[in-house]
Amino acid sequence: MARMNGPTRGPTHGPAKGMTGRITRRSAGVALLGAAALAMLGSGAARAQDTVTLGAVLPLSGASATIGEDQRRGIELAVEKVNADGGVLGRKLAVAVEDSGGRAQSAIDAARKLVSVSKTPVVIGEYSSGNTIPVGQYLQREGIVHINPGSSSPAIKTIGDRSFSTIGLDDVAGKFTAQAVYGMGHRKAVFLAPNNAYGQGVYAETKAAFEALGGQIVANLLFTEGQSNYRRELQRIAAAKPDVIIYSGYGQEAATINREAFELGLSKTPWFGIYLSMCTADSRPETVEGQMGMEVNYVGPDGAWYRDAYKKKFGKEFATTFSGYTYDAVMMAAAAINKAGSAEPARIREALAALGDYAGATGPIAFDAQGQRKTQPYIVVSYKGGELKTAAK
Amino acid sequence: MLEFCLHVLIMSAIFGIAAVSLNLQAGTSGLLNFGQIALFGIGAYAVAILTRAGLPWPAALPAGMAAAALGGFAIGRLGRDLAAEYWALATLAVAELVRLVALNEDWLTGGPQGIGGIGGLFPGLDGMARALATLALAALLLLGTALVARRLGETQFGRVLRLMRENPDLATALGHDIVTCKVKVLAIGGAMAGLAGGLYTLYLAFIGPDQLLPFETFLIWTMVVLGGLGNVAGAVVGALLVTTLYAGIPFLKDVVALPSDLTGSLRVFAIGSIVLAVLMLKPQGLVPERLRRHHAQRP
Repeated sequence: MARMNGPTRGPTHGPAKGMTGRITRRSAGVALLGAAALAMLGSGAARAQDTVTLGAVLPLSGASATIGEDQRRGIELAVEKVNADGGVLGRKLAVAVEDSGGRAQSAIDAARKLVSVSKTPVVIGEYSSGNTIPVGQYLQREGIVHINPGSSSPAIKTIGDRSFSTIGLDDVAGKFTAQAVYGMGHRKAVFLAPNNAYGQGVYAETKAAFEALGGQIVANLLFTEGQSNYRRELQRIAAAKPDVIIYSGYGQEAATINREAFELGLSKTPWFGIYLSMCTADSRPETVEGQMGMEVNYVGPDGAWYRDAYKKKFGKEFATTFSGYTYDAVMMAAAAINKAGSAEPARIREALAALGDYAGATGPIAFDAQGQRKTQPYIVVSYKGGELKTAAK
Repeated sequence: MLEFCLHVLIMSAIFGIAAVSLNLQAGTSGLLNFGQIALFGIGAYAVAILTRAGLPWPAALPAGMAAAALGGFAIGRLGRDLAAEYWALATLAVAELVRLVALNEDWLTGGPQGIGGIGGLFPGLDGMARALATLALAALLLLGTALVARRLGETQFGRVLRLMRENPDLATALGHDIVTCKVKVLAIGGAMAGLAGGLYTLYLAFIGPDQLLPFETFLIWTMVVLGGLGNVAGAVVGALLVTTLYAGIPFLKDVVALPSDLTGSLRVFAIGSIVLAVLMLKPQGLVPERLRRHHAQRP
């Protein structure tokens, strides 16, 4: 550190009074760069030797920040649990959490920081498929284990043999949605989802399954993200006069859509949200009252304890359904490290692949040959009086 | 740690090229290009598609530059009758158009999943050697770009560009063809931005439509404005500063030991306040444009 201090200090403190603006100008830039460099060095030195550190890249800011925060809570709970049970390899477990800002470039930077600075053998992340895929590909190239706790695009399968998912992908989700909507007696649907890796994937799967059952998707509106309003899309939906609006959207965007649909009187048509808690997380309650939807279950059939632990720690109900998946990701990584008797990425990968049936907070998890979660217990939920309730069968 | 620093330097060099390109357009010529990421993206996608088809990168990179130069040419022609502000808005629209094509033409661009698994630079080397070689290449190309931009600014053409920026009517009255100048500078700027985009793709081995969001254009603008609009060195300094800030601020929380739920907000807050502080203290940027005295002032 001392070595870095020299050149930083020189030009910053060097110029005496009355120096020209040019020197001061340069010193401001040098000081800023120096501060960043010092911060970088400091973090390396602070790493303790008696800890096994895993990494996580989550959207802690940006459009999906509500979900990212919930994912982080899952990690916090898991780390406490693992350490209360004696840690890993006789050492303490820690998870270094980095913010992706919901942006691919920052997500890759964060993954690089975890791999090359914190030397984490496992990186958990991200949430949007468009960020998870490049992060996963980078980790695959570096030989680091990747665990996806939140993206459901079928393209996740193609990342490679170092990549695992603790959440079911959309080929399973689309089929469940189609059956649920058809089962409610709806035949004529419109589909509204973001035009990205997630939206296109889930649309293709839902459409195929819904039409195989005999239903019809009369309009497909894959919208551009980040618009200030969605009236054009909503008016086209109104014109199509559907039985049901099947939709999905990330927190803040879904909130805009729901508010405008409410204002246009479109909320009288039944709405069916795919991952409903994601769609309603940031919406005003009156705009989404009565919406139905499918959800990955917050917890598996034997996971009531997880709900209690979450409530006890954070003093509220789950904000989204996504915290359990990061919890399971950390727990499975810890189990794999203990099983392998080593924190080497290659050994952890082998142990993860051979973990067999794992009893997670989100239900039983088993990986298929591509490292993806084989079965995913979904539920039908409805939004009533400010919270999600499991719909009566 | 060293590896991460190299990564930051490589990204700085790549964005430095994009910033020098934008500085040539906006700083020297006064063309408010809010679609810079489109030129970057055309280069990036061209290189990705060509290397995927089996072309080696030394051949794909110039092809990407040519494609982006063509894109710049088209944007320049497109707005030839528009006033500066309207043209600026049109460039924003063009950038979104390019992104939407990338998002929807699956057969060519891989759609929302983008193109991954690109061969990349120096596949023969590994680890540190590869990072060093990449940095050397990127730095060399940045130097070349900066020298071209600087030399261009000193020529008669450069003087006409500055006149066009200050007073387009006067430039026309003196017999300069504004449209030709505009198209030329956008084609040159396009080639530079395409080079940056191509390098970016080769280095990260991935390009997707999410990397072409308007936010990225404004990031490059931040670099140029912070560094000093109109100064080539300023663009490079700005790129280094902004890239380092984005990559370095996440380290602050490791040192200060903030709870990790503040991580996200800290980054947004820190970057916002630093940018604001620099702009308030140095409205002309860290390295302002220096006009030759007899250009700037009457004796």
